[in-house]
Amino acid sequence: MSKDGEKSGWKEYIWNPRTREFMGRTASSWGLILLFYVVFYIFLAGLFALTMYVMLQTLDDYKPTWQDRLATPGMVIRPKSDETYEIVYDTRNTETWDLYAQALDKFLTPYNNSLQTEKNKECTPDEYFLQEDTGDVKNNPKRSCQFNRTILEACSGINDRYYGYQIGQPCIIIKLNRVIGMLPGKDGQAPFVTCAAKKYKIGKDQWREDTDKIGEMVYFPPNGIFNLMYYPYYGKKAQVNYSQPLVAVKFLNITTNEDVNIECRINATNIPIGSERDKFAGRVSFKLRINTK
Amino acid sequence: MGYGRSDSYRVATTQDKDDRSPKKKKGAKDMDDLKKEVPITEHKMSIEEVCRKYQTDIVQGLTNAKAAEYLIRDGPNALTPPPTTPEWVKFCRQLFGGFSVLLWTGAILCFLAYAIQAATEDDPSRSARSHMFDRLSLCLQLYLGIVLTAVVVITGCFSYFQEAKSSKIMESFKNMVPQQALVIREGEKVQINAEEVVGGDLVEVKGGDRIPADIRVVSAHGCKVDNSSLTGESEPQSRSPDCTHDNPLETRNIAFFSTNCVEGTARGIVICTGDNTVMGRIATLTSGLETGKTPIAKEIEHFIHIITGVAVFLGLTFFILAIVLGYSWLEAVIFLIGIIVANVPEGLLATVTVCLTLTAKRMAKKNCLVKNLEAVETLGSTSTICSDKTGTLTQNRMTVAHMWFDNQIHEADTTEDQSGASFDKSSITWISLARVAALCNRAQFKAGQDQLPILKRDVAGDASESALLKCIELSCGSVRAMRDRNKKVAEIPFNSTNKYQLSVHETEDLNDNRYLLVMKGAPERVLECCSTILVQGKEQPLDEELKEAFQNAYMELGGLGERVLGFCHVLLPEDQYPKGFAFDTDDVNFQTKDLCFVGLMSMIDPPRAAVPDAVGKCRSAGIKVIMVTGDHPITAKAIAKGVGIISEGNETVEDIAARLNIPVSQVNPRDAKACVCHGTDLKDLSQDQMDDILRNHTEIVFARTSPQQKLIIVEGCQRLGAIVAVTGDGVNDSPALKKADIGVAMGISGSDVSKQAADMILLDDNFASIVTGVEEGRLIFDNLKKSIAYTLTSNIPEITPFLLFIIVNIPLPLGTITILCIDLGTDMVPAISLAYEAAESDIMKRQPRNPFRDKLVNERLISIAYGQIVTAGFALGGFFAYFVILAENGFLPTTLVGIRLNWDDRSCNDLEDTYGQQWTYEQRKIVEFTCHTAFFVSIVVVQWADVIICKTRRNSVFQQGMRNKILIFGLFEETALAAFLSYCPGMDVALRMYPLKPSWWFCAFPYSFLIFVYDEVRKLLIRRNPGGWVERETYY
Repeated sequence: MSKDGEKSGWKEYIWNPRTREFMGRTASSWGLILLFYVVFYIFLAGLFALTMYVMLQTLDDYKPTWQDRLATPGMVIRPKSDETYEIVYDTRNTETWDLYAQALDKFLTPYNNSLQTEKNKECTPDEYFLQEDTGDVKNNPKRSCQFNRTILEACSGINDRYYGYQIGQPCIIIKLNRVIGMLPGKDGQAPFVTCAAKKYKIGKDQWREDTDKIGEMVYFPPNGIFNLMYYPYYGKKAQVNYSQPLVAVKFLNITTNEDVNIECRINATNIPIGSERDKFAGRVSFKLRINTK
Repeated sequence: MGYGRSDSYRVATTQDKDDRSPKKKKGAKDMDDLKKEVPITEHKMSIEEVCRKYQTDIVQGLTNAKAAEYLIRDGPNALTPPPTTPEWVKFCRQLFGGFSVLLWTGAILCFLAYAIQAATEDDPSRSARSHMFDRLSLCLQLYLGIVLTAVVVITGCFSYFQEAKSSKIMESFKNMVPQQALVIREGEKVQINAEEVVGGDLVEVKGGDRIPADIRVVSAHGCKVDNSSLTGESEPQSRSPDCTHDNPLETRNIAFFSTNCVEGTARGIVICTGDNTVMGRIATLTSGLETGKTPIAKEIEHFIHIITGVAVFLGLTFFILAIVLGYSWLEAVIFLIGIIVANVPEGLLATVTVCLTLTAKRMAKKNCLVKNLEAVETLGSTSTICSDKTGTLTQNRMTVAHMWFDNQIHEADTTEDQSGASFDKSSITWISLARVAALCNRAQFKAGQDQLPILKRDVAGDASESALLKCIELSCGSVRAMRDRNKKVAEIPFNSTNKYQLSVHETEDLNDNRYLLVMKGAPERVLECCSTILVQGKEQPLDEELKEAFQNAYMELGGLGERVLGFCHVLLPEDQYPKGFAFDTDDVNFQTKDLCFVGLMSMIDPPRAAVPDAVGKCRSAGIKVIMVTGDHPITAKAIAKGVGIISEGNETVEDIAARLNIPVSQVNPRDAKACVCHGTDLKDLSQDQMDDILRNHTEIVFARTSPQQKLIIVEGCQRLGAIVAVTGDGVNDSPALKKADIGVAMGISGSDVSKQAADMILLDDNFASIVTGVEEGRLIFDNLKKSIAYTLTSNIPEITPFLLFIIVNIPLPLGTITILCIDLGTDMVPAISLAYEAAESDIMKRQPRNPFRDKLVNERLISIAYGQIVTAGFALGGFFAYFVILAENGFLPTTLVGIRLNWDDRSCNDLEDTYGQQWTYEQRKIVEFTCHTAFFVSIVVVQWADVIICKTRRNSVFQQGMRNKILIFGLFEETALAAFLSYCPGMDVALRMYPLKPSWWFCAFPYSFLIFVYDEVRKLLIRRNPGGWVERETYY
């Protein structure tokens, strides 16, 4: 009995033919409350848009207000596999390393000498390429320096289409994240990349280094420097064709058939060592494993 | 949140789900049996029959063997102690009741999410350091689960201890002294433990004893018993072997278990022991009653339904949305859990408990001890108070109220503190009257009370004589001295045949050798003995005119429900009764006729001073006050008129009949607002007739009611939808106390059983304290509403970030940890501080809450909290801060949309922002967590305005003022806590909260201001336009 009552109660709640109420409200009541909410939300949206507009007006078009979180620029390697920083392939199986070669090809295409000479300027090396604005007059668009693919020599992929992967001498390309206005290095000394074996944990309080397995390395350009002329960066809007400088590392006789953990860091006196937590600030680590048998 | 009502007297087996089980049926039948009247028949039997029935002897008593046999058969003569709930069950009830279930569900979902995530995570030991943050984010779910569990456990413990504390106070009320009884077995008097008394035992009781069992009196000498705890009658009643009434409760030849023998001695045969006694049946009836949920428990349940509904609806919507948008089912489940958790107001449970506790404490200060927390609010919802008369409305102390002498009625002072008006004490007649009253009086003060005020002193003697004693002591000084001056030489004590008491005294004047004979008794009897009357100190012959004056005065005083006594005296002529005359009181050898009538004195148990005012307040607060008493209708009506339960000018059917001089049957009952209903009539009423009485009369007095009828009255009121409070002190009230939505027992005069059955105890026995309770209860309901509105407003903005996160693919604006920081951190103190908020208007001038319409949480509150203030302030303020921080760091809103996949990709460490800069995962996550912190701070900033908004529901803040110091403290506290969480070193590791630039604190200011202005305007419209659209749609 009570169940029936409840049922009809529900039905009545949804549509009450006597009072012509739908869900406890008449049409005009629904109309009024909906109208109120529509007007109310339009007003709020307008207000939000207004405050957002005001906020956006306070922003500089060329430089973000705060950069304190980017004090130590990040470092990234190419080629990059899907999720992890692991480069694992088998020399005998073309498919396994061809992917890496293709990725590098694609990555390096914008650095082709023809494109660079067409778009960018040849700058004076070893000094910052400053293009300051004079007062309110913007010195835009700003020019960028050429970074020709040939600078990477053996790792440019021009002579060796496979970047040494098929012969167990892979190239890894390293780049430093762009940060507007950053002037790395100091006293005319360019920042440079060094790679070494990485300390890693194998058990509780047990650490290991793969120093003996890493073998010989060659850096391109020599010493693995990022030339000063590529700095400072003026931002996407002002410096449209900016070419990010790269450093390539070629492992000549790395131990095969074993995991080798490598860490590369940037060396520059005015780049603070990043926090322990951020393993990609000012350094990058990866695992290399070349299977031959 | 089940603060289970006190279960002390509850039978444990009634929770049987299967209605058809015979056990249940039997239980129900027993219950109905108990509601019927007592089936004692022994009073109608002759003594011999009774002896035969119990195989006992009227002189020798039982044999020891028989007694032992009966003891084994019937069990000990004691009330079965109420089944006590084990402590752990009580504790579990606190832990798993009501609201906690929601939180438990939340916690379990969190653990589930943790388990799912942990199981799907790659082997975490692979590279411990680098996975630190993976683990941290994974642990969030675990933390959340643990925190939720902790919240439930802590609040559970809190209310458990609160309850334990009040039950401890209860314990202190009991003083269990093993009771002794004097029985005659095998012809010898033996003192045995009252528990060993069995049916058929011959027992002897004397003045001051407690009756050990229900006994059929076989012989008595001036025995009087105080039945007030059983029947509510305030006068001691005499006991004799004769059956005087069919009703066992009314007849003279039965004395009841646990009532007190006031004076005299009696011998009787035990007819019922233990639970079979009348008292035992009432106690069992009480313990068998199921009590409904408290109104606040119902409200909170309703609230949980709404919240759960909203949570599940939103959760499922998001789940489906997530699946449609292409998230994996795992992610979708985690979203679902996140939404549900975000929807649970974690801190609310604690807030409600604390609010109720604070009020309970405040009430305890005002002498209302609350036994279970939820009862605090129940009193506020009360719409009907059924009050016992004796001891609750009255002082439970006979007091001289009126005197008639010199052909004039004088009013005596009946107030508790002697602040009332006095009468002319110079009249010689008065001096004579006082002398008669003092001398013809066996009552005397117990020793060692000289420092106490006269009214507080204990008296040995009968209630009327005590009243006279105190009255004389107050107006004429020491009665003892007067009695010493007038030595008593002879006395005839009161008996029911004479209906008077007389004594003969020497006179004060040493030279006067005459004897003074003083007499008091039933006025008509006393008048019969008189031939003259004292008027203005002069003896006058008692003519017809004076006799009529006497009759009128007698009728008038009797009509006031007062007990009237007549007084007369005579100075015996010296020639007939010379000094040393041997007065023989058995064979009266002296003059008892032609005395001189002095006056009348009438006594009543007067109402407490504060009661009329309190009743008036209840009435203006829309609460119906019904008097339910075991006393006589005339007395009950007089007191009801005295305290305003029947207000001036309102007539009963009988009054109308008397006024119009027509038979009662011709009066339209609808014309009479007041009604005095006799218990015997009540017995024959059908349920409909009962409802009719309760519905159609605003002022009702039930007289001569039995405990069972009290219960029926309470049930009748509840059937009509009223929330009923019952006040009472006696055992006879306890079933009603238990059945009522809130039972209020008296702390001083109340019996243990009544205190056990009650939810609240008035420590000062003052009915006026109930009014305070009602006021506090109403206030807490209003304030809880405000508190919930406040808490809920911060609840929904915790969901909107998820919404945008999933739909627009922006980085998550508010994390789980920050949600907890809001719910359990910054929101707590302000939410609790609202419990200290003063009332907005005179809450005692409005009608009681209608439990069906006025909900704690209604759709308007949800609409206001979720639809308006939230969106206006919190969500927009928080999102604004979020967009400001991201934009100032280089991520403009345009870039943000759709960035989520790359943003949360751990391997993407060169994510480009709007300016072309590149960010590592950790760098952008720090910015994201800074956004969470800013969102959190924005909510705090908007909560400033919100708490001020929630202070009032109708008034402007400028009318209400900012006098709530706790609230101001709360504002500073939440701000300080927010600053601490943001700036304290180490918080980045512990809670992932980062320091904010000072300018980011101000992002939410415009929104804070906006909601404040919006709400002030809304309230202004409500005040300007009562009943208008704004009020209908937004007044919660």
